[in-house]
Amino acid sequence: MSIRLEMRKMTKQYGDFLANEDISFTLNAGEVHAIVGENGAGKTTLMRMLYGMEPPTSGQIYLDGEPVSFDGPNDAISHGIGMVHQHFMLFSDFTAAENVVIGHEPKKAGFFRRKDAIDTVNKLAGQYQIQVRPNVKVADASVGEQQRIEILKVLYQGANIIILDEPTAVLTPIEVKGLLKNIKNLAEQGKSVILITHKLREVMEVADRVTVLRNGKVTGSVNKEETTADELAKLMVGRELQTISDRIQLNGNSLLEVNELTIKEKQEKPLLDRISLSVRRGEIVGIAGVSGNGQSELLQAISGLRKVNGGKVLIDGKDVTNQSVADIRLAGLSHIPEDRYLWGAAKQATVEETGLMGYQNKPDYNNKSILLKKQFRSLLSSWIKKFEIKTTSINEQAGNLSGGNLQKLIVSRELGQETPLLLAAEPTRGVDIGAMEYIHEALLQKRNNGDGILLISSELTEILTLSDRILVIYEGKIVGELTREEATEEKISILMAGGSKQ
Amino acid sequence: MKAQQRIQRLLSPLLQPFIAIFIGLLTGAIAISIVGAPILETYKELWMGAFGNFYFMTSTFARATPILIIGLGVSLAFRAGVFNLGAEGQMVLGAVSAALAALYVPGPGIVKILSALIAGITVAGLWSLLAGWMETKFKVQLLISTLLLNYVAVLFASFLVSEPFQDRSGSAALAQTPMLEQAAWLPKLFAGMSLHWGFIIGVILAIVMYFIFKLTSVGYEVKMLGLNPYFASYGGVNKTKVLLASMFISGGLAGLAGTVEVLGTQYRFVDGALTGPGFAWTGMMATLLANSHPLGTAVTAIFLAALETGAMGLERNTDVPLEIASVIKSVLILLISAKISFNWWKRMKKGRDKNGMV
Repeated sequence: MSIRLEMRKMTKQYGDFLANEDISFTLNAGEVHAIVGENGAGKTTLMRMLYGMEPPTSGQIYLDGEPVSFDGPNDAISHGIGMVHQHFMLFSDFTAAENVVIGHEPKKAGFFRRKDAIDTVNKLAGQYQIQVRPNVKVADASVGEQQRIEILKVLYQGANIIILDEPTAVLTPIEVKGLLKNIKNLAEQGKSVILITHKLREVMEVADRVTVLRNGKVTGSVNKEETTADELAKLMVGRELQTISDRIQLNGNSLLEVNELTIKEKQEKPLLDRISLSVRRGEIVGIAGVSGNGQSELLQAISGLRKVNGGKVLIDGKDVTNQSVADIRLAGLSHIPEDRYLWGAAKQATVEETGLMGYQNKPDYNNKSILLKKQFRSLLSSWIKKFEIKTTSINEQAGNLSGGNLQKLIVSRELGQETPLLLAAEPTRGVDIGAMEYIHEALLQKRNNGDGILLISSELTEILTLSDRILVIYEGKIVGELTREEATEEKISILMAGGSKQ
Repeated sequence: MKAQQRIQRLLSPLLQPFIAIFIGLLTGAIAISIVGAPILETYKELWMGAFGNFYFMTSTFARATPILIIGLGVSLAFRAGVFNLGAEGQMVLGAVSAALAALYVPGPGIVKILSALIAGITVAGLWSLLAGWMETKFKVQLLISTLLLNYVAVLFASFLVSEPFQDRSGSAALAQTPMLEQAAWLPKLFAGMSLHWGFIIGVILAIVMYFIFKLTSVGYEVKMLGLNPYFASYGGVNKTKVLLASMFISGGLAGLAGTVEVLGTQYRFVDGALTGPGFAWTGMMATLLANSHPLGTAVTAIFLAALETGAMGLERNTDVPLEIASVIKSVLILLISAKISFNWWKRMKKGRDKNGMV
């Protein structure tokens, strides 16, 4: 196999910070080469340099043995490098075919030849077995199909090297399978694929070679056959992974009762359709589902951020339906929000101010409206110590913390409330493996202490690792319930996609 | 080391306004040289006009008084994340209510002063609350409603003093109320100077507001609401309550500014006497320049007042026209707008970056 792309000793320095240090990387024709690493490991920087978005501080890129340098993405594209971004860059009012050919439209006498465009898309789709309906409007296409449109666009632009950036983050399990098959097809037909991800299972399924980055350096470059997912995880994190605590079987009484909860906006079909569920003490109930099926509404309804049209929410026997957030928190709820930047923090606030939220009116930290900062600071520093939150000082802006560290701050703030009930929504989204371990361990400990947790996550592995019981939500309804013992990824995936339990 | 950090943290909010003012003065220097006047000499005259002797200095402080109090009100609203652009109407409505209270509430002077203060603050506060209520109830944008309510308030006050409550004692029949009796005047700080107790009220308010934001849970909740309303409501802050309270207090302070002008300077409500000098807009500028920092607002309010009083002195003593103050002020407005646009642009860019790779 010939070497199609080589990056030699790539280094990128921002001020004192080395984002990439002496990274060498090769890509053969017809190869799938995965780049894995935690957030901030340097994957982004490396790809930005390859795609012409950032000039390297030093290092050289070779294409088919020739040294090259790119002025920008368009330059990279013209050299046969294409990238499918995590967030798609499509015009949602145009059709699939129009999006694919955009910028290089087939023309005759200055007029756009829509039929030629459709033919081209059909031909490409057939050649690489990528299913796309050429006339579908992007706004009406599923996320999976939108991604396939992006891939076709890149192919249409003549890419031989296709960079896929965290392509599975937004997909359902079934769509993931389809994508992995597409990737294999592309490789078999001679295209080279760079797969950026942190999901090791997918890497083991589809990659030929794997390069692991940590702290801007390569910690390993191995053939798939010669490694295991555990070994890759070790290379990513830099140490052995901990095994998670045992679960103590508890049969606590009911803590959260949700009865027939309904949220409906004018004329539309309900966002939440008579949802009933319960969480007992000493239990983690997981809610699995593709995002956008009512999880956000459910969270907001329980925590008081959104009014409901029907049904009841009881916490510890107390009716809290449509009460204020403050009253519901007082009734015994803490809440790790699904989006840490939208709900969980204010970017321009300090670490201290971010941690203080929810404590500002507690008698321990508030004397006749005067904040008792000294007392709160000692609580805050105990969190920083216990969760190893990396911050230069408590006066640092919350927005300057890394995603994982901010999430750890939010998690410790909510655990610190010591409420009987915790809503944990996407508790580890976008955090690295180290922080994920901490958070999972903390949640299990809370459960073992006899508290109840309602866990909402779009990561199936997380649901399966933590939950005692699993509910599947689909289009605003609970469509299935599985015990920890009977739950498998397969069964949940089918329910998540709207299939029946059988 | 620690002390140095402390001082740095204390001074850092003042850094931006100082840079802005410096650039403003630099641009002013260009304008002065175009006119053909000596730059340093002109600035010296400007300084003398504002602070040259005790009389000029107290005049500057007197002019700064309404600017400062309005600025504080606006800064509270800005901190809570609401755009109160209605300071002018609130001030005028507060001033006319205060004048009427002081005229018609029976009793000794102190009773008249107190009822004028209460009337001025309450009426202006309620006027501002109206906009807040429309926002929470009908989602009428505050930016628009507060701005438009200015016209209603100013014209209504103008009607009041040109029809039912007009001073008909003199022959001129100006649009103004009769003069308040002397017992209802806010005392001057120094005999023969225009500076009155309103200035002390303003300075105390600035200090109180500084400590409210620094030390109390209320200040914390207001600040968080301003920084990220979703975060605040997630944490149990009652968004509606804080928004309405901020609007009431913000408007109430504008009303207080109008009240002390009536009680301490004009001794009656004169149509156009508060809108003419543009106190409300200068107050807003003082706040924006100081990043909504209460103590910073006090400094910038005095600076902006000094620019105006100084320019008057300049015109008296040199050939440089009064408008030089407007040139400097315009540059400051440009810089403020540039800052706001830059922050907005940065946020947009960040939003885009977030859509890239992680």
